[in-house]
Amino acid sequence: MSPDDLLNDLRQRSILNDEQRQRIAASERSRPFSLHWELRALLYAGILLLSSGLGLLVYDNFDHVGHGILLLIIAAACVVSFVFAWLNRPPWTTEQATSRSAFGAYALLLACLLFLTLEGYAQYQYNVFGTRYGLVTFVPAMLFLALAYRFDHKGVLSMALTALISWVGITVRPLNFYFKTNFFDQKVVFSAIGLALVIGAVALVLERQRIKSHFTLTHLTFAGNLLLVALLAGLFNFEGLLPWFMAGLAAGCWLADRYARQEQRNRAGSFLFLLMSAVYGYIGLTYLYFKYLHPSGNAVAGYVYFIVSGIVLIAYLLYQRRSVLHESI
Amino acid sequence: MRAYNETWIENKNVVGQAERWHSRSLLTDEQLATVRKTYPVGFQTMNGFLEIGLFIFTIIATGGVFLLFVELLSIDDSSVFGLYCLIFGTGLGILNNVLIRRHKFYRNGVDNALVMATTALLVGGFNSQFLADSSLWLWCLVALPLLAAVVWYYGDTLVTFIALAVLYTFLFDLTLEASFGRTLLPFVGLAVSSGLFLATQRSRQRAYYDDAVSLTQWVALGMVLACGNYYVVRETNWLIVRSTLIRSGVLSPPEINLPWLFWLLTVGLPLVYLWQGFVRKNRMLIILGVLGVAGAVATIRYYVGILPLNVHLTLCGLVLISMAVGGIRYLRSPRYGFTDVPDEDSPDEFLVSSAVGTIAQTAAGTTGRDQPDDVKFGGGKFGGGGAGGGYS
Repeated sequence: MSPDDLLNDLRQRSILNDEQRQRIAASERSRPFSLHWELRALLYAGILLLSSGLGLLVYDNFDHVGHGILLLIIAAACVVSFVFAWLNRPPWTTEQATSRSAFGAYALLLACLLFLTLEGYAQYQYNVFGTRYGLVTFVPAMLFLALAYRFDHKGVLSMALTALISWVGITVRPLNFYFKTNFFDQKVVFSAIGLALVIGAVALVLERQRIKSHFTLTHLTFAGNLLLVALLAGLFNFEGLLPWFMAGLAAGCWLADRYARQEQRNRAGSFLFLLMSAVYGYIGLTYLYFKYLHPSGNAVAGYVYFIVSGIVLIAYLLYQRRSVLHESI
Repeated sequence: MRAYNETWIENKNVVGQAERWHSRSLLTDEQLATVRKTYPVGFQTMNGFLEIGLFIFTIIATGGVFLLFVELLSIDDSSVFGLYCLIFGTGLGILNNVLIRRHKFYRNGVDNALVMATTALLVGGFNSQFLADSSLWLWCLVALPLLAAVVWYYGDTLVTFIALAVLYTFLFDLTLEASFGRTLLPFVGLAVSSGLFLATQRSRQRAYYDDAVSLTQWVALGMVLACGNYYVVRETNWLIVRSTLIRSGVLSPPEINLPWLFWLLTVGLPLVYLWQGFVRKNRMLIILGVLGVAGAVATIRYYVGILPLNVHLTLCGLVLISMAVGGIRYLRSPRYGFTDVPDEDSPDEFLVSSAVGTIAQTAAGTTGRDQPDDVKFGGGKFGGGGAGGGYS
């Protein structure tokens, strides 16, 4: 139904009076067309292209004489973006910042991306951090974390958390970072679990203190995924500690489930934790079933497992919908 | 008679429109409440994340049942297997109908999964039963009416997408049967895509098919851009003839017929899209036009570019940033009917307003409907309301 038809319909049912109908129709006709998100997407794409183009420029011109000038330009661009972002910073508040300039947040993003390029170059060329590879990720993690809170920027927060997670992977096993899956190493798994718990705990404390509580969901999404992936990795790889990881996974799923039910601020988003609980838990359960309980050579038992478990989880999710909605009312 | 209650779907649109007017203070709270009462929507309210989970586990359980019977009835003959697929698919379709009626599902994951499974089993079963070793285009031709029927009955977007893919595969494969098929191929693509787009524009829009129609338009307009793009045409042509040409010593893609025409289309079509998009205030055309321009720039660089990639990327980035910054500054106050102020089509605004609504609701202790859940993550229409074509 077009807006005009609907207006006529509403008039006929006397939900609207004539004056209001004309006002709405006029408003529909004269309302400008918003290009807000298209322009933001363009800006974002431009920033990504620019920073990857500059990164490539540095990489390709390593051995050339002119790379010093190039570096100077990038450093200057980074400083200019940051100064611009700082001049246009939102006023500090523990709540979500409401008044923000159109470009400040994007300038900050560009500054952060350029900082990574510069840092990578500094480490490659001058070996600033020596063999303490952990610092290469730890420094931007801390810097971005601080910037994210000061500038109220969720994108920079995600970058900070990503850096923090790779910091754990690198610090524990410096030699084969980036190239190998680290999750076959017990120390990495335990560090990941530790980090996830720390991030989660800090997020919940900050939430309680009402400091940037709209960041909680980002923190917990990172922490929850890291925790559950690490627990699954432990379950798959370390048979000796199986009972512990089983208990850990069960506890992790229970926590995610619990959090989804209690969370009130962002109801729609909190359902993500129900999904995480169901999917990660199901992967663990299926692994355990086929490894320890499944009678070998009996295909029927496997199919029955999938049928029963699938139906149980469907019922669980449908039930959750009801109970969560019920509690929220 | 279709799978879902059509009146409820129409009412859903009405209530959505009324909510948008309400958020712009054009309707009072009482009026919105009256609209909700007058246009009831009986569907389950669900959350996008739960729907994803329900979809996954429905597929798992269905797969289990399917394989269990294969095992128990020891079906290994291919002709019996086809028949089994048909019977099982029909059974699933009936089950889906019962569930939709009983649980008032509307694209809640379970029904999506069952629609997919039913379609796959019916199409696969029919083809393996009756067309064991036939050509690809015949296979697609037989599948098309079935897919069309599923789209007609459910209005499902995923099946619509598959139906479109099968339609294009059918036409392209059939065209290539002809001796002059390679030359004809891009023109078939252009003609069919434009035809599809015009057909969706002419047809009377029913709320039931909003998403399917919108998806068809995205695909059709995107295919027009692709079929007119010089790089795509030349490389596709190369893919088809490569094996024969390499044997005769040709190692790189040969020039295509009518190159000037495709260069013209590569550059011209996106510009036409942008022009029409701005004239008609059509979000879909504007977005595709911008993507098309990006494709045209990449194509030009590929064939006649002189700048190295790093400089090219840097320059493109700078151009995009300055265009966006210029646009944002220019549209601070509305001009020529365009503005930078986000409207209700904007996803972020939608989330913010719904979050605010939730807080207000819990604070006031009002119950209302299952409000907090109204934000649909997965099922949304890509590109927002402009794509529907109704509100421009």
